[in-house]
Amino acid sequence: MATDSLKDSLNLNLKANYADVHKALHNVLGNESLSKNTFKLIIERGHLNFRAGQCVNLGLPNSAINREYSTYSGEKENELEFLIREVEDGDVSPALRKLNRGDTIEIDGAYGLFTLPESKPEDRSYVFVATGTGIAPFHCFIRSISNLDYTILHGTRLNEENYEIGHYAEDSYIHCVSKEKGGNFEGRVTDYLRQNPQGAEKHYYLCGNRNMANEVYDILREQKVSGSNIITEVFF
Amino acid sequence: MKVAISYPPILNRFGQKAMVSQNRNVQFFQKPTYLLPVVQGQAATWLEQLGHQVLWDDGNSQLKSYRRWSDDLVRENPDVIVFESTTPVMKFYWSTIVELKNRLPESIFIMTGYHSMRRPEETLSKSPTDLVLRSNHIDFVLAKLIPFIAKEPNWRETCEIEGLVIRMKNGNTRDTGHFRQVEPLEKSPLVDRDLVQWKNYAKENGNFLQTPGTYASSVIRDCMFGKCTFCRYNGGDLTFSMLPVEKSLNEYERLVNDYGTKEIFDDSGVWYRGREAREFAQGIIDRGLHKKGCYFGFNTRFEYLDEKTIALLAKANFRFILIGLEAADDETLARLKKGYQIQHVERCLSWMTKYGLHPHLTIMVGYYWQTQEQLDQTVSFVKDLMLRGLARTLQVTLCTPLDFTEYHEECIREGVLLTRNYDDHDMSKLIVKTPIPHDSYYLAVRQMYSIAFHPQFILRQLKFLFSFRKRDWQFLFTYGLRAIRRVRQHIFNLTREQGKSDNKLEPAHAD
Ligand SMILES: Cc1cc2nc3c(=O)[nH]c(=O)nc-3n(C[C@H](O)[C@H](O)[C@H](O)COP(=O)(O)OP(=O)(O)OC[C@H]3O[C@@H](n4cnc5c(N)ncnc54)[C@H](O)[C@@H]3O)c2cc1C
Ligand code: SF4
Repeated sequence: MATDSLKDSLNLNLKANYADVHKALHNVLGNESLSKNTFKLIIERGHLNFRAGQCVNLGLPNSAINREYSTYSGEKENELEFLIREVEDGDVSPALRKLNRGDTIEIDGAYGLFTLPESKPEDRSYVFVATGTGIAPFHCFIRSISNLDYTILHGTRLNEENYEIGHYAEDSYIHCVSKEKGGNFEGRVTDYLRQNPQGAEKHYYLCGNRNMANEVYDILREQKVSGSNIITEVFF
Repeated sequence: MKVAISYPPILNRFGQKAMVSQNRNVQFFQKPTYLLPVVQGQAATWLEQLGHQVLWDDGNSQLKSYRRWSDDLVRENPDVIVFESTTPVMKFYWSTIVELKNRLPESIFIMTGYHSMRRPEETLSKSPTDLVLRSNHIDFVLAKLIPFIAKEPNWRETCEIEGLVIRMKNGNTRDTGHFRQVEPLEKSPLVDRDLVQWKNYAKENGNFLQTPGTYASSVIRDCMFGKCTFCRYNGGDLTFSMLPVEKSLNEYERLVNDYGTKEIFDDSGVWYRGREAREFAQGIIDRGLHKKGCYFGFNTRFEYLDEKTIALLAKANFRFILIGLEAADDETLARLKKGYQIQHVERCLSWMTKYGLHPHLTIMVGYYWQTQEQLDQTVSFVKDLMLRGLARTLQVTLCTPLDFTEYHEECIREGVLLTRNYDDHDMSKLIVKTPIPHDSYYLAVRQMYSIAFHPQFILRQLKFLFSFRKRDWQFLFTYGLRAIRRVRQHIFNLTREQGKSDNKLEPAHAD
C-alpha cells in the first residue's frame, strides 16, 4: 500500500514510549567555539536515549524558556553534543553560548522523526543538504551508523564554518561558501546542486533554513528526484 | 473552471451541528461557532486570481440545512468540489460523496484534510472520490492542480504534481509520491475576505473577546514545534513553513483599517516566537494598529515566549493567548512529547497576566494511562491557576485519538482503542481503555468548568478588569456571556456519557 511505503520511507517511528522521552537537569561538560557565531555545547548524557536525527529542547534552568536543538553527537557516544549558532538578540542561543563546564541545563526530549530508516539504513545512498548548523543531524547520522553511503552538501556564508570537517569522509563533504573565497565550491549550495546533480535514485535529507529547503526541492524535482525521496527538517 | 470549496452542514442524532474547533478538530455543538478555514480561504483566493470561478460554499456558516446546501450545490454544478476530512466525519463525507456523485456525475470530487491524507486509499475505496490530496498545503496544490485539470483532459493519467492519489479512468489509483513539506507561504495570497464572506465567521467564535473578529492567514503552517503525539501537526511527513512578518502585518493593517475588525486571531499551531514575535509586535506599534481598539491573539506553547516579548505583545494590544496545558504531571507531558515542564507553567502564565494578556488554557483528560492521582493533580493544578488569576479562561476536552496521529497509532498498537466506528471519534466520549472508570474523567471535566462559577474566580476576574484598560470591560458582556453558554454546552457534551459502561463500544481494530 502506498501509505505503508510512505511511512517506511519517512521512517515514522511510532513505537517511542514514555521510557524514551526524557527530561532532566544535565551538567554542562564544555562549550567549544567553532566559529565566530557557532559553538559546540557538550553535556553529560545521563539517561537520555535518542535516535540519530532527533532533537531535544534545551533551556537554562528556571528560565522557563526553551528551544529545539538537533543532536549532533552519535547515538552511542557517552556525551551529548549540540552544534548551535548564536543568533543575535536571540532569547536562548546567546544564553547557551555563555554556559561553562559545571553549569546545568534542562533537556526535554528526545523526539522527532527526521531519522534514517530503522532497518538497514546503510542499504541506501543519501545526499544530505544543510545550511549552517543544519548539518547537526547529519553529523549525528554519520557518527551513529558506520558504512553510511552519503554525500554532504554544506552551505555556509564563511569558510570557517566547516565545523569539524575532519569528522566527515574527505570526498563525502562538499563545502559551499557563499560570502568569500574558499571551500570546495564558491557559491550557494543550491548553485552547486544545480551544476552537479547527485542522482535521481538517491535519498535526500534537507535541513536548516526554509528558503534553502524550498529552492533545493525545486531543483531536485527538476532533476527527476521523486518527492518521496526528499525529507525536510526546517530550523527557521 | 468552476470550483466549490465546500463544507456541508453536518448534524448528529442530537441535532447538534459539527463545528471545526481547536486544531481543526470536529466537535458537535448545539450552538456552533464558525471558524474560517484559512488555508482553504487562501486556496479559493488563489484560484479566483488565476481566473477560475470559485464558489465559497460553507453550508455551516451560511446557516443552510443539509438539503438546501446539497440542492444549491447541485444547481451550481461545479466542475470540482473540494472537501476537508477528519476522522469523526469520514463516514458522513463518504455517503455525501456517493449521493452527490449520482447527482453530479461529471464533477470531480477532491478530498483534503488530515484523515484522508494519512489514509488516501481508504477514502478512494469507500467513496467515489476522484482524488485525495495528501498535502496539507491545499492552496499550493490546488493552484497547480486546477489549471492542470482545466487544460489536460487526461489529467488522471498524466498529472505529476506531488502528493496526490488519483483515481484513474480504468479505476485503479495512482500515487504521485510524497508531497512537498515546505512551501514559500509568502507566495500564497492572503485570504480575500469578501470572497469567503468573512462576516459569517465574525461573531460566533469563542476565541474573540470583541467582535467583529476574524482569523488571520496563519503565519506558521503547521507547527514549529510539531512533536506532540496527539496533534495532527506532528508527523514525519510534516515540518513547518513560515510567513514573513511584513506580509502578515500588511494583512492586519488591511483588516483593521478597511474591514474594521476588532479582534484578529492567528490559528497557527503555534505562532511566532522570539525575534519574529517581537518584530511583529513592534510592527503593529509602528503602524499604529495598537491604538485602533483591535485585540490580537494566537496559540502558543509553554516555554516559547519570554517576559520581554510578552511585555511587547501586550503593548501592541495582544490579548487572547491560547495555550495547551495538557496535564499537570510530568509523566503525561513526557509521554505526549510536549517539551515543557510543569514547574515552568506558573512562571510563563504569570508573565502573561502581569502584562494584561488573557491566557486561555486548553486542558485534556482521558489519556489511556491517566491514573486518578494524575487526574486529581491536573484538576487541582488548574483550579489553583484559575483561582490565583494566572489564567483567565479554560476549555477542557477528552483526549481523542484522531487522524492517525502518533497517539492514535499508539492506541491501536497498545490495544486500548475501544471502537472501530469513526463516528465515535467526535470527542463527545472517551474511546480508549483507561485505568479508572470513564466517569472519573467526565467528573474532572465538570469540576474544571465549574471553577468559572467559583466566587474567588469571579472576584479575580473583576480585580483583573479593574487593573487594566477600560476596554476590557467588554469581556464581561460579550465574552463572559458566551463563555457561560460554551461551558454549558461543553458540560452537556462531555458528560452525557456519564454513567454509561466504559466497554460498550465495539472492540478495537487496526484499520
Ligand atoms: C526541529 C528544530 C531543530 C533545531 N536544531 C538546531 C540546531 O541543532 N542548532 C541550531 O543552532 N539551531 C537549531 N534550531 C533553531 C533553534 O531552535 C532556535 O530557533 C535558535 O537557536 C534561535 O533561538 P533563540 O531563542 O536564540 O532566538 P529567537 O529569539 O527565538 O529568534 C529566532 C531568530 O533566529 C533565527 N534563527 C533560528 N535558528 C537559526 C540558525 N540555526 N541560524 C541562523 N538563524 C537562526 C530565526 O530566523 C529567528 O529570526 C532548531 C529548530 C528546530 C525547529
Ligand atoms: S505545540 Fe504541540 S499541540 Fe500545539 S500545535 Fe504544536 S504540535 Fe500541536
